[in-house]
Amino acid sequence: MDPLLQIALQVGPFLFLLLFGFIIGTLVERSHYSDIRKREAKTRTLPVISFRRAPPSWQVSSGTLVSGSTVVSIDYFKRFLAGLRALVGGRIASYESLLDRARREAVLRMKEQAIASGYDAVVNLRLETSRLASSNRKGQGTAGVEILAFGTAVKRGA
Amino acid sequence: MDWEPRDFPENNVTDVHPLKELVTLVAGIAAATIILTLAIAFTLDIGMRALPAAWEARLFDGLWSDLDEVDDERHAAAVRLVDELALDWPENPYTFQVFILDSPDPNAFALPGGAIGVTRGLLDSVESENELAFVLAHEIGHFSGRHHLRGISRTLAVTVVLGAVTGGASGTMLTQWVSEVTQLGFAREHEEEADRFGLDLVEKRFGHVNGATGFFQKLPDANAGTVGRLGAWFATHPVSPKRISDLRRLARDRGWRASGELTPLDPSFYAE
Ligand SMILES: [Zn+2]
Repeated sequence: MDPLLQIALQVGPFLFLLLFGFIIGTLVERSHYSDIRKREAKTRTLPVISFRRAPPSWQVSSGTLVSGSTVVSIDYFKRFLAGLRALVGGRIASYESLLDRARREAVLRMKEQAIASGYDAVVNLRLETSRLASSNRKGQGTAGVEILAFGTAVKRGA
Repeated sequence: MDWEPRDFPENNVTDVHPLKELVTLVAGIAAATIILTLAIAFTLDIGMRALPAAWEARLFDGLWSDLDEVDDERHAAAVRLVDELALDWPENPYTFQVFILDSPDPNAFALPGGAIGVTRGLLDSVESENELAFVLAHEIGHFSGRHHLRGISRTLAVTVVLGAVTGGASGTMLTQWVSEVTQLGFAREHEEEADRFGLDLVEKRFGHVNGATGFFQKLPDANAGTVGRLGAWFATHPVSPKRISDLRRLARDRGWRASGELTPLDPSFYAE
């Protein structure tokens, strides 16, 4: 077989995955961001602060733990871009938007939970990230990342 | 404390179009790869040319022991012919070894460390000592120009750099193809140089160059696609009308006789 044809056959599936990842990934990201912004506008009135205690003026009457978690994976295109980045260093822009979406989605879920339970605010907001090891390739690589947002939902008295 | 609602910060994502990022990265890395490969090949090339033949022999010692070598009664005659031809190369730093390889395709190779590989097919196809001498002298010419090492330095550079960039195994196919492409022009130049060197040795030994050019004339038709019994040799030693006419012109310019009596091969070639 012609070596050029052989290389084309090897490179073909890779290019397909790259294109597939780019098109689907872009569409998914665009629709996710529009959904996030819509829900952020809707939950805008619920204050979320990272102080450990609520301000005394809030006169907290009750509180409970609320949390929101998202697990994100990465598309082939972003992974390839990140791989190239890894060779030369620098900001992995393709991961930034992914993690930004995950963080905001986690906070949104937490806020939505607080609102649904009738709370007025969330104090002591914390964000945690953990890596999920991939089950293939001898556990190397990353299957995804979990972002967990949690805090104390409080009811304000008076 | 006043409560003022704020939107989630939108400053956490670098504002760059992913396709622009892709093009920038691919182009940048490709350019760096090419420059690096050339730099490594160039450095290795200098090192290879300066490598003393004794070191070379030690470096590659035993590397050819797993070749498909056969016991052939014509081996002694081939060794003798190589040694006698090398006598006319006073600066020869090599102690040549000859391997007979078990292949029906006529072919010969110059291998690092001073080893000349000759296939059974080649020994079967030559009809005079002059013909065999030209092939062997041509291979000696590759040693004189250090071509066998310089080819290696290119392949090595391509293998190392592409292997690193593509992450090893996935790059082997590509590596092979790229190193073949980079050898093309390089190889032709080396063949011409080895031809000139070889013809010179043949003339010194026999006093004429008959048989050496006759070797080329055996080809039924270089353009016909099939190159007859000597096909394989010309596959790794690409034949062109230019190559033949270059040799004829060289012989004419140096005043070498184009005709002369052909020397019969060693009796071991006729024993059957
Ligand atoms: Zn050659």
